[in-house]
Amino acid sequence: MPDKETREPINNLTKQSNSLDNLNFDALKVLFKPHIESFDHLIEAGMETIFKSIKLVVVHPTTFQKLIITLEAPKILSPQKDGIAKTTRKTLYPFECRQAKLTYSGRFTADVCFKYDDSEAILRENFNFGQFPIMLQSKRCNLRDFPPRKLVSYKEEASEMGGYFIVNGLERCIRPIILPKRNYPMSTVRSSFSERREGYTDKAVVIRCVRADQTSLTVKLYHLRNGSARLGFWIHGREYMLPVGILLKALIDTTDREIYANLTSCYSEKYEKGKGVVGTQLVGERAKIILDEVCEVSKKFTRLECLEYIGEHFQPIMHELRNESHYTVADDVLKNYIFVHLENNFDKFNLLIFMLQKLFSLVDQTSVPDNPDSLQNQEVLLPGHLITIYLKAKLEEWLAKGKTLLLDEIKRGGKIGKIGEKFDFRKFHHVKKVLEKNHASGVGKAIESMLTTGRLATSIPLDLPQTSGLTLQAERLNFLRFLSHFRHVHRGALFAGLRTTTVRKLLPESWGFLCPVHTPDGGPCGLLNHMTHTCRITSFYDSQGKVKNYYKIKLSILNILIEIGMTQSLPKIFLPGPPEVLTVLLDGCIVGYIPSTEVEKVVAHIRELKVSSAAVIPDDLEVGYVPLSMGGAYPGLYLFTSPSRFIRPVRNLSIPSNGNENIELIGPFEQVFMEIRCPDGGDGGRKSSFPATHEEIHPTGMLSVVANLTPWSDHNQSPRNMYQCQMAKQTMAFSSQTIQHRADQKLYHLQTPQTPIVRTSAYTEYNIDEFPTGTNAIVAVLAYTGYDMEDAMILNKSSVERGMFHGQIYQTETIDLTELGSQAERSSTIFRKSNLDKGCHSIDSDGLPHVGQMIGPDEPYCSIYNEVTNKTRLIRKKGTEPAYIDCVAVDLKKHRRKANIRFRHPRNPIIGDKFSSRHGQKGVCSQLWPDIDMPFSGNTGMRPDLIINPHAFPSRMTIAMLLESVAAKGGSLHGKFKDATPFRSSVEPGSKSASLVDELGDMLKEKGFNYHGCEVLYSGVYGTELTCEIFIGPVYYQRLRHMVSDKYQVRSTGTVDQITRQPIKGRKRGGGIRFGEMERDSLLAHGAAYLLHDRLHTCSDYHIADVCSICGSMLSTTFIEPQKRPVRDIPGIPVRRAPRKVTCHACQTSKGMETVAMPYIFRYLAAELAAMNIKMTLKLSNGANVSDTGV
Amino acid sequence: MDPLPEPVSYLCGDCGVENTLKSGDVIQCRDCGYRILYKKRTRRIVQYEAR
Repeated sequence: MPDKETREPINNLTKQSNSLDNLNFDALKVLFKPHIESFDHLIEAGMETIFKSIKLVVVHPTTFQKLIITLEAPKILSPQKDGIAKTTRKTLYPFECRQAKLTYSGRFTADVCFKYDDSEAILRENFNFGQFPIMLQSKRCNLRDFPPRKLVSYKEEASEMGGYFIVNGLERCIRPIILPKRNYPMSTVRSSFSERREGYTDKAVVIRCVRADQTSLTVKLYHLRNGSARLGFWIHGREYMLPVGILLKALIDTTDREIYANLTSCYSEKYEKGKGVVGTQLVGERAKIILDEVCEVSKKFTRLECLEYIGEHFQPIMHELRNESHYTVADDVLKNYIFVHLENNFDKFNLLIFMLQKLFSLVDQTSVPDNPDSLQNQEVLLPGHLITIYLKAKLEEWLAKGKTLLLDEIKRGGKIGKIGEKFDFRKFHHVKKVLEKNHASGVGKAIESMLTTGRLATSIPLDLPQTSGLTLQAERLNFLRFLSHFRHVHRGALFAGLRTTTVRKLLPESWGFLCPVHTPDGGPCGLLNHMTHTCRITSFYDSQGKVKNYYKIKLSILNILIEIGMTQSLPKIFLPGPPEVLTVLLDGCIVGYIPSTEVEKVVAHIRELKVSSAAVIPDDLEVGYVPLSMGGAYPGLYLFTSPSRFIRPVRNLSIPSNGNENIELIGPFEQVFMEIRCPDGGDGGRKSSFPATHEEIHPTGMLSVVANLTPWSDHNQSPRNMYQCQMAKQTMAFSSQTIQHRADQKLYHLQTPQTPIVRTSAYTEYNIDEFPTGTNAIVAVLAYTGYDMEDAMILNKSSVERGMFHGQIYQTETIDLTELGSQAERSSTIFRKSNLDKGCHSIDSDGLPHVGQMIGPDEPYCSIYNEVTNKTRLIRKKGTEPAYIDCVAVDLKKHRRKANIRFRHPRNPIIGDKFSSRHGQKGVCSQLWPDIDMPFSGNTGMRPDLIINPHAFPSRMTIAMLLESVAAKGGSLHGKFKDATPFRSSVEPGSKSASLVDELGDMLKEKGFNYHGCEVLYSGVYGTELTCEIFIGPVYYQRLRHMVSDKYQVRSTGTVDQITRQPIKGRKRGGGIRFGEMERDSLLAHGAAYLLHDRLHTCSDYHIADVCSICGSMLSTTFIEPQKRPVRDIPGIPVRRAPRKVTCHACQTSKGMETVAMPYIFRYLAAELAAMNIKMTLKLSNGANVSDTGV
Repeated sequence: MDPLPEPVSYLCGDCGVENTLKSGDVIQCRDCGYRILYKKRTRRIVQYEAR
């Protein structure tokens, strides 16, 4: 796309720039969509939805006049500079925020509407709600829809995908967490339920109801031991239990008979214990108990009586409705706290009946409880939705604060404005004045601080599993790590502390949605999962990019369902139950029932419509058909259209197609009951009576992006693939193409990266070549010098000197004069070199270092001059290694200067650095072996770059690494990249005849090499032929970020602890490594007494104490300074100090003074004991006649 | 009073124009008003470790 703003390439680099335009980052951008689309929705529609649900009523305490305050017309602008200079461009771009440590945010304004209850007029006032952080590449981002070339001209990566925020120059992203699936009643068994109150059992049906504005309320239907049930719901952070009978009656006008009939409809005497029978005889008994409870116990008969009852009980806690009638209160409770996803009381009644039936079936064990840890019953909390929820809470808080301010003002009757009028509630501008005091810009600030701290600070309960740890920094250690931040989902911090491991289990339900390979080992194992590369998340946007109209979707789905045989649930029609018919739920609303004989046909029909391009039914509709079974999951047809569900594409076999027209998007709920074939060689153990209806598109669809990059991962032992996923994310790689325009605290950079010869299809699909992570090293597998034992590896010194694995660390120090020093100092400091120290060469005349120069440890690099006190302060380089000044950038912040100084630490490979292949084979460099002493090939004369030990293979079984070596050798001989996509043999039936090894071996044979990839090698030292042929070939090696230079720790003497005088710990402070109890034990066992004494005493807190042998105290001894010097100092002769005299304070004599060597901590102990009034005395004696020391 | 330190030249981060600033000057490009400036590489001899 031609663009005028893009500067023309300087010379004929046209060919290169064409390739930039040809790059296709679409596949990459799809990975980030869940983040961006959810934020887009917040900006475009979510904000208005929030505003619709917020209302504040202020009642004048004496006149009872009502003022209704609502919010309207939300507006978020694109990020702009708060310009002081008129000449500069106004738009703020992300690169400026990164460098100047700003927040990428746009102005957020909205109309606040005031309406008095006795007048029709609505008065509006525009309020500024502060700066709202904007997600990159969202609809308000200034980079939206830029082509790669233009992105580069704005100093971004060509592939910039966005999805994160920039807060104070840091890139932060919101961590998606797993939530229970919305609007689906889940049977749950939890022992904590029985502890709620007396008579409760551990069984309940739980439903998380979500409103249109994404806020949710969880409602639990508890089962009681007496057969009844209680509905537990939350108001203002407290759970209240209501008998279901009262609720059923309060919801709609109904009779006992109707309730009884509805409840028992799932039981029929016809079916004894057949397939899909959920009701038992006991249901009728329970229905009776429920009804009896209402009539006999609480003496409530009619709907009005029940409403009265609810209203009476909840009035005290509903502060807003204190003066309203009981009916209004009860209506409000039913509307705002029970089944909030439904609007209609009739729907709520039906859902409650359905939940009761499900609960009874759970109790009677005709259905099994739903597993809350399985992905089937889960969805994800998306960044945009989290902000929506938080924003709503913050706006509500703001309004509530405004209300208290208004009421205070009324009570106070104070003066308003300059004229000094008395505050009048009737006068709009008075009210406005008061509200302006309640600064609205705090709302934007709150969102920003939520992003920096990851903490939700509200007084309103949000029904979220955690309120902290919600954001994290999107580290650009390398591209794969960066990408993984946007593809992971966390199970929730709550589960991290759990002792049980059930939540961490890999369940078959998550097949195709969560990658089984890409999860860290250790602490967060199984809790921090990564989505597969085909997994997507539903959003408010349809495939055309328009906001979905859920009302229309619901209607069209209903029409289709009725057309094909669903009976709609209408008032006064009893809902029959399984096994005759199946209940149909659409987003948690009971819409009707379908005869169970018809249902399969219906499901097939809906799926067909889903896939067809005529968009009557959204393509991401989840058709959760739970079939009739013997005591399995509770049957029904559950349809979901909601956002934030996982979905993935599979092929629908019932629809004939030769292209991609039969791709259906399925969710984890429906997947469990579907027959999906996977081209894995076998047929997945499927019986012929259940023919496959769907087919996986490609077996690699079950792997995440990072796991997909491992070549031939199907030939590796599975833990090795997991290790590789971890190590790929720790690789020191080509992390960014815009290093010059960034100011990250720490940035790893590989100087000479290469593209792998052996690569998977994902590598090309996601353009990983833009950010390569390693080098094709010639690897020989042999035990050569002994320096390759135990996972050590020998690097060829000359290869390293030619640039292999060269790298640097860029580290940026920000010196901000507005934040440095005390408040008073800040206003008068500038960067300037002091005139006094001319000798300081490292600092330029502007007080900043010279660009390109070396700064040694502890050398000053920056000088700050205080104009008032006339003092200079030098800032010195921390750490122990020298660094080069790479870049010095100055900018202005609040009229003070700020400097970003970027250091470059050269990090070329040295002994102790860590490397790994792409197969979980990590090792440490043990020697940089001279090239002339390396073994060399008999045919080609080549010397390996790297030698690893053959013992690395037998137990680890990383066959793919061997394959890679052979394939890369063949590939480089033929000048071709070799495709190493896993599971190829099962996808392409043609290649089954010739095995992979044959194919690779023939490639070598063709060029005259050994079929197995072995070569005759000669010893580099003796020049003799090695006794066996050596396996040698190129393997793509990664350099890991763990380097000795960052880790080595050494100490002989140094800083000690102030109190104990023992050596301190910590590498940064020059401390040592603890010589602990177990180390002590080993020295004891060796009898190395002298060494032990040296380590634990002489090198630690060795101390010579003066002890008074008369009283046995070592605390009462003091020095007495000699009064006068007896002789005058003679110049030239060293001053002879008079020996200091020690006396005991207690004994008033210095007669019994002795010196004793002891650990200083012993003296400290004596002092501590003395503080507690315990005297410690030492009995001194000569070593010969040792007696016990008394205390 | 100290003699004023000699000016140092910077490059504008947006338009690339060279700006010469003294210690008290406002940090802003003369041409385009951009406020991030980069210091030029030193003219002094810089020696690298050649190992």
